[in-house]
Amino acid sequence: MPDDAAPVSGELYLAVCHFLYHEAELLDSHRLDEWLALLTDDVVYQMPVRVTRERGAPSDVSYDMYYFDETLATLRTRIARLKTDFAWAEDPPSRTRHCVSNVRVAPGAGPDELAVHSYLLLYRNRGDDPGHDLLSAERHDVLRRVDGAWRLARRCIILDQANLGTRNLAIFL
Amino acid sequence: MSEREAVLERLRATVQPEAGRIPAFIYTNPTVYALELERIFQRAWLFVAHESEVPARGDYVTRYMGEQPVIVSRGEDGVVRVMLNVCRHRAMRVVRADAGNAAHFRCPYHGFTYASTGQLTGVPFQREAYGDGLDRSQICLLQARVGSYRGLIFATWDHAGESLDEYLGGMRWYLDLVAGRGPMEVLGPPQKWTVPSTWKLPAENFVSDAYHTAYTHASLAKLDIVASTGFGQAGYHVTAGHGHGLGIGIQHERSMYPPELHPAYERTLTPDQLRILHQVKNLHGTVFPNLSFLIASPVPVDGRWVSGTTLRLWQPRGPNQVEILSWCLVEQEAPDWWKTASRTSYIQTFGTSGIFEQDDTENWEAQTRASDALQARDDDFVLNYEMGLGRPSLADFPGPGVVYEGKFNEANARAFYRQWLDYLLAEQPERPGANGAAAPLAEAAARPGR
Repeated sequence: MPDDAAPVSGELYLAVCHFLYHEAELLDSHRLDEWLALLTDDVVYQMPVRVTRERGAPSDVSYDMYYFDETLATLRTRIARLKTDFAWAEDPPSRTRHCVSNVRVAPGAGPDELAVHSYLLLYRNRGDDPGHDLLSAERHDVLRRVDGAWRLARRCIILDQANLGTRNLAIFL
Repeated sequence: MSEREAVLERLRATVQPEAGRIPAFIYTNPTVYALELERIFQRAWLFVAHESEVPARGDYVTRYMGEQPVIVSRGEDGVVRVMLNVCRHRAMRVVRADAGNAAHFRCPYHGFTYASTGQLTGVPFQREAYGDGLDRSQICLLQARVGSYRGLIFATWDHAGESLDEYLGGMRWYLDLVAGRGPMEVLGPPQKWTVPSTWKLPAENFVSDAYHTAYTHASLAKLDIVASTGFGQAGYHVTAGHGHGLGIGIQHERSMYPPELHPAYERTLTPDQLRILHQVKNLHGTVFPNLSFLIASPVPVDGRWVSGTTLRLWQPRGPNQVEILSWCLVEQEAPDWWKTASRTSYIQTFGTSGIFEQDDTENWEAQTRASDALQARDDDFVLNYEMGLGRPSLADFPGPGVVYEGKFNEANARAFYRQWLDYLLAEQPERPGANGAAAPLAEAAARPGR
């Protein structure tokens, strides 16, 4: 997001925060069908691989390989799978907490779009393990107004780990 | 008797692969792990990188052999070398990035500088610090022996043992289907993640265990992505020798691969290999000890059924932790749509978020925790590895090795642990003295071995 991005109104900013917090609540309470309903039909949901590079290297984010590279169809498949009786990775389910902060909002590319950056700290705990997995990321989103409501049209998750510290990604960020 | 001798004695008495008896303590026993690092990972040929990761002179990636960091570098002379990523001066890690391109490697501690061939070429303030007392030509990053097969780069610290071709043996015929069905490349860097599991469980799962797919991966049958929960049964179970092995899932409809890819396969594979490749519906295996591969069952991508191929390194990170590196391997000359669709299929099914693989890590973690807990027992909690014991093998399969009809079999797991046990119990070569000549500061010659 450019430093000189035009600010949006307080009302719009609050609407975006409400959207992101609501989304986090849906994910943390396993209401995944409701989460799917927040996505546009053409949603692009990606999490590129992060690597350790020297400071002078062009980028430490690889757009040649992803942990997630999803469309609405593939996300639907993932969620349908989680609802079968054989999705052991999340059955029993993890306890997660999506903490969203540092929300920045700027006008988007289209008239009904917003560019939204946020930080995510995701706590994950399973079974009787007293420890936890902690994933930290920045999310670059595009929100689009569809029929008067905000929807997620694009998400790129920039993870703060080059060696992912959780056993699988049977959860969403 | 030392702890180590006691453990070796216990291994000799209790690990009985041919009887289908494996005690659970071997999964995570710390002494067993120390022996694995010393006797397997210090001796066996280990996969380190795919050649397409270092295509240009100066390209490098950093990897591990056992727990030892190495640099895989294509030198300015075009030769791929694998060198210990440890400075000869004070053991500092010389290269700290995952990948890059460099004409030389400079240690951050004192600035010792090595050429991309490993030779020490620069020492800051050499005259003031050493006078005439340091001969740079005698100092080199420690070099492993390197070999390559179908683009797969392997290295070993055993400079005198068998060649890579001998080590792979009959497995080469099958590796051709995965990594040599034409010129191949990996897409981007590997996914990398860490799981609280011993490295052996995933290696064993890929080499042998088609049986688990019926229950662990039953969700895929519920979604009609695979035909039924028994989708993993039809095909062949191949014990390829040297602890290597694979399962080949077979279908008799039409090839999973689009016609535009067939010419490259026909140029590269023998008619027998080609026939098997076009019948594959999935294929999974392990090159002992910790390289696995998989041609995954196809899933729908934009209206077509597409399969992804993955290479997998199970990097030991302690007795009960494994770092997983997972690459997507595609046909280099394939049209872009295939590369993209193949990557989409791979990400959807395998790797960190894969809908097949997600559930595997849940098993490996719980098995690892159980093995930890069972260390306290004074009996030997023996696991059942008997499936397929005594089953006759096929006489007319075109590929090498011992081949069984049907993939529900544990012969490969038994062969894996036989190999594992033989490495651990092998007569150990005498260690050179502290100033012995076995680890010279300089290498007589870079050993490209290619």
